[in-house]
Amino acid sequence: MPAPTTPTPVDVYESGDAALRVVASSPDPEANWSTVHALAAWLEAAGADGVHGAVPTYDSLLVEFDPGVTSARQVRAFVLLGMQQIDFIGAPARAAREFSVPVVYGGEYGPDLERVAEQQQLPVEEIIALHIAKSYVIRCLGAPAGSPMMDGPDFPVPVPRLKDPRLSVPAGAVAVAGRQAVIAPAAAPGGWCVIGQTPLTVLDAAAEPLVPYVPGDLLRFRQIHAGEFADYAGRKLEAAR
Amino acid sequence: MSGSLIIQQPGNSVVTDLGRFRGPRFGLPVNGALDQFSARAANILTGNDDGAPLLEITALDFRMRATTDILIAVTGAPLHLTVGGRECQQWEPVSVRAGETVALRRMTGGLRAYVAVHGSVEAPVLLGSCAPDTVVGFGLRLTEGTELKTSRSVAPIRQPYFDLPLFRLGLTRPEFSSQAVVEVTDGPDVDEFGDTAELLFTTDYTVSGRSNHIGLRLGGALPERQSSAEVLSRGVPVGAIEVPSREELLVLHRGRGVTAGYPVLAVVTSRSLDVLAQARPGHTLTFRKTTVPDATAKHRAALRELENLRSTVSTVFALLGIGSRPGWSQLAPAAGT
Repeated sequence: MPAPTTPTPVDVYESGDAALRVVASSPDPEANWSTVHALAAWLEAAGADGVHGAVPTYDSLLVEFDPGVTSARQVRAFVLLGMQQIDFIGAPARAAREFSVPVVYGGEYGPDLERVAEQQQLPVEEIIALHIAKSYVIRCLGAPAGSPMMDGPDFPVPVPRLKDPRLSVPAGAVAVAGRQAVIAPAAAPGGWCVIGQTPLTVLDAAAEPLVPYVPGDLLRFRQIHAGEFADYAGRKLEAAR
Repeated sequence: MSGSLIIQQPGNSVVTDLGRFRGPRFGLPVNGALDQFSARAANILTGNDDGAPLLEITALDFRMRATTDILIAVTGAPLHLTVGGRECQQWEPVSVRAGETVALRRMTGGLRAYVAVHGSVEAPVLLGSCAPDTVVGFGLRLTEGTELKTSRSVAPIRQPYFDLPLFRLGLTRPEFSSQAVVEVTDGPDVDEFGDTAELLFTTDYTVSGRSNHIGLRLGGALPERQSSAEVLSRGVPVGAIEVPSREELLVLHRGRGVTAGYPVLAVVTSRSLDVLAQARPGHTLTFRKTTVPDATAKHRAALRELENLRSTVSTVFALLGIGSRPGWSQLAPAAGT
């Protein structure tokens, strides 16, 4: 994919007294993603007083700050300054690494697989085939615990979130929602449709950073059988190249 | 000289601080003391930095025994505090002698109390903070017999008039109410709720027992999103109010997942997050709309109050010879006559 050469315009919204939401508003999702991640990197590097940090996702960025030290008004000005300063040309191109993730689909490992198949009006096998068909760009680190958030498989229609989120989804759960896909590195409540589970350990709480990938890395799923799940127990998710 | 204490009855207690501010960029919630004002006050009252590790005690009774002389302060929810069997005041420094037991019982009115120890307590650190993270399984687990080390011991401070509190520092204590008012600003997605957004300000909400440090679940009339378009996951602030199910309103607190795909109806102010931290299951909450500049002004007024407290404490401690600066008692006697 050709990298955009100029940042897209952004809108800045109030999000309480200690955060701002910055949204890139171009019709090009790739350019929006590049913009919010470049802006997040600039904000981290520039490090204004009282700014805790930035959480970039797909087309948006949450900037958190200490309202005792700075203010929404000052941080907004800081963000707009960043927009003038970021420049994609000359940005260091970091080589993307690729991760291969074994998944047991359906049954107790993926309790929502059939629900998703029904909602997409496709056979279960086709849902699995679409899920393993492509290599996903990790767009951002999300909840819980640095989940790799990716653009979803090429399903016909978006996948609705569960009406009543589960109180606990196990570590390794492979899930989809809307036009997104994810792996849960740690057990947590969740409202996404769980279609499978990987036996690999994604999160290492003793390491810093806690997860092995960064936004921009690539991830591919492959199907394994339930009988193979135990063979992978205790193995960590590691880059294939 | 360093000191230590031993947990006798952990109840529901953790060692925490003001939070893991570097966490969100790595997908970890900020966590940390839910009632930040009370936590800061406890540390200030014991001469510590605001962000020093301290104990957060939620709902249940708690006991610890000092193995050396220490100086503590207990803030947060009203409770019955005793040291060595003597009744003591919250929101004041309290001198504890070696061997004495500190007991926190019958927490009422609020949900969380804070115990700071002069010299703080030692705890492991992840990304610059000792705050427990239940999702990644990080944090010091307190059980019966856990020993906590403090970097300083403080010789007993004698009060010549028996049963009178040692200090009266005059901090305005926060109010604790079973019918609290919570201030919010409009969320970035308020328009998605149309006219139903107003329900937030005309409804009495009841705190559910399923509430925790991740978020409070509130029962009552629910604003309803007018569209069903899927939202891309994005960072959500602490204090975000969402309507994820048809059952309850969800108010995210410091343990919240950093990203979510639900529209943000409103955001609780920093000051009112402390109020939410003290809301018990069954309590009633109402919401009042404010603006970001007003919310910022209130937050800063609270911080100024804490700064005043800090300067009073530092004067008193200097006179008593507590802390890093030498006090009068440590000065060499004047030579000659």
